[in-house]
Amino acid sequence: MIAIEGLSKTRGAVPVLSAVNLAVAEGQVMAIVGPSGGGKSTLLRCLNGLETFDSGAVSIAGHALAPGGHQPGLLERVRRDVGMVFQQFNLFLNMSVLENVAMPPRVVSRVPPEVARERALALLDRVGLASFASARPATLSGGQQQRVAIARALAMQPRVMLFDEPTSALDPAMSAEVLDVIVDLARGGQTMVVVTHDHAFAKRAATNLVELVAGRIARCGPAATVLE
Amino acid sequence: MKGIGMRVLSGMIYTCVGIVVAVGMALAASAEELDEVIARGELVWAADQEGGGPHVFLDPKDPGRLTGFEVELAGLVAAELGVKPRFQQGQWDRLPLLLGRAADCVINGIELIPERRRDYHCSRPYFAYSLQLLARRDGPLDSFEKLAAHGPGGRWRVGVLTGSAAEIVMRSRSDLELEVIGYDGTIDSLEQVQSGVLDAAVMDDCIFNFYADRFAGLRMVGRPFGGGLYTILTAHDTPRLSAAIDEALGTIIADGRLKALYDRWDLAGRQQVLTLRDAAEIPMAGRRSLGQLARESLPLLLQAAGMTVLLSCAAFPLAILIGLCVAIGRLHGPAWLRPLLAGYVEVLRGTPLMLQLYAIFFLLPKIGLALPALVAAVAGLALNYSAYESEIYRAGLKAVPLGQFEAALSLGMTKWQALRHVIVPQAVRLVMPPVTNDFIALFKDTSVCSVITVIELTKRYSVLALSTGRIVELAIVTALLYLAMSWPLSLVSRWFEARLEKSP
Repeated sequence: MIAIEGLSKTRGAVPVLSAVNLAVAEGQVMAIVGPSGGGKSTLLRCLNGLETFDSGAVSIAGHALAPGGHQPGLLERVRRDVGMVFQQFNLFLNMSVLENVAMPPRVVSRVPPEVARERALALLDRVGLASFASARPATLSGGQQQRVAIARALAMQPRVMLFDEPTSALDPAMSAEVLDVIVDLARGGQTMVVVTHDHAFAKRAATNLVELVAGRIARCGPAATVLE
Repeated sequence: MKGIGMRVLSGMIYTCVGIVVAVGMALAASAEELDEVIARGELVWAADQEGGGPHVFLDPKDPGRLTGFEVELAGLVAAELGVKPRFQQGQWDRLPLLLGRAADCVINGIELIPERRRDYHCSRPYFAYSLQLLARRDGPLDSFEKLAAHGPGGRWRVGVLTGSAAEIVMRSRSDLELEVIGYDGTIDSLEQVQSGVLDAAVMDDCIFNFYADRFAGLRMVGRPFGGGLYTILTAHDTPRLSAAIDEALGTIIADGRLKALYDRWDLAGRQQVLTLRDAAEIPMAGRRSLGQLARESLPLLLQAAGMTVLLSCAAFPLAILIGLCVAIGRLHGPAWLRPLLAGYVEVLRGTPLMLQLYAIFFLLPKIGLALPALVAAVAGLALNYSAYESEIYRAGLKAVPLGQFEAALSLGMTKWQALRHVIVPQAVRLVMPPVTNDFIALFKDTSVCSVITVIELTKRYSVLALSTGRIVELAIVTALLYLAMSWPLSLVSRWFEARLEKSP
């Protein structure tokens, strides 16, 4: 589902990623751990084109990303198949919770409004927030907002989900409710890449794990083995 | 709500009382009059150099020097008083307002009419003019009589100088099929006849004689009609100065210097002097009662206020739309477009609105694009304010967190979808208070549109003040009308701000 070969990126003269090779099979959950500034988030953002890279190749959900700029339309196609959840939730503040989840399929994939709405309500129900459908995002707790963000990404029915430190901005109780949702997704066979600091969670949810240190893969293998 | 209303009302009353007191003090200040002029050694005479030749204009050979037959006349009058002349610039239709404050007298083709005699002291006449109808040489208007029936395009569009006798005469001719349009500049109407926007212009014959070579495409239609006399204006409360000026004029006429002056300017000196000698006394207009003033003026002021509202409400949404597009283009458009849009903003923000209105209304017809005054006014206001709005929206767009944009993109939206559904709606909400503020500013800036013949509230006020002489009363009513219209806007602005503060 995901194949990364020789991916390198520098920022100015500083190498951020150096010849990273990585493969994630369908249904696998890959956890990326490592110290801050190690290139975890940058690697993740290269996978859906939020950042460009200097050399190497990325194949994800059947799309090929090359170094440098991308041809018009390619990134939109990639991102339709690759959902992303951010550390800071980034819910759209100008719309209700339901609209946050229903609008993207309607606008991007031309899903009929009623279908998008039904799908959004079902997803909100799945993350336990159906009763907050008409609420404004800012009135929700951090954990609730992150669960809405997950529902929003799922609404596009992506083949791959990327999580960029989804619980770093949350206290332990709220983290737990978000992690439960992610574990539930993993059990459902969703292909996922999760950048996280939380080793316990990585052990519980991930099938494979890599540790990125200074832009290089330091350790790599089945989650349970690597974290022993 | 009631508390705020009372506070504002009492504020308005204090303001009005303040205006009355200030005007009263200004009128009282000119008591010493003639002695003061002599002690000063200068006679300050007011005119509008924009009014043009042959009265007062900048010498084409030496553009730093003022010339014209009235410049020389002022010199002769001042010499008779034993002082030097000093020129004071003012806008023509508001020159009399300078009396008693910035000027001792007004010498600038001021026609001797009953309304002027009521409000100011008018000297004995110093020049006789006739009115002349002017039209395109190749146009359909070839006789004055044709004005009595509709022209090819409906009523004849005739331009006049605002506040001039030509305006008063033409507006009073209900027997003619006319649409009379007032211009602030003397030869603006000639330009507009030449470019085909107007069918004809009416002005003092001496002005057209002076500019005839420049407007070779125009011709005089019919004989001169409805003539009158020019007078020197002084304030009512400077009787000694007025008498001294009258006496000076008498001397200059009697000893032949006025004839020599007019002959030098090719103004038929002998005929002038003969006419002036036989000039009949002009009656004085009556002063309207307050009730009559209200009955006559209020409907006109309300109608003009309607024009102010129309201009604002038509121009501002356009300004917002253009401004938003410019802001988006500058932040997200192609690289080649960004400097062009930056230039657009700088040019429109860095040049005066009045100049832009002038360009749209007077210069575009020269390249074949003649816009009606109302359309030109709306376009000018919209373009000018779009520059300011674009800067506000640019700030608003930049204030929306980058994460919102990334989240939208990560869902597969294009840049434009992200802007339309996520970024712009948030930016619009953020900038609501400054945008409402600008609406109030534009609302008041509509008064500038009078330079291109649109009669809105301020213009209507100055025309009414001239014709009725009730300057203070009408000023108060006009100010109250402006307040009554802008105050609700302020409330809306505050409501938006309060709402914004409450929401996260």
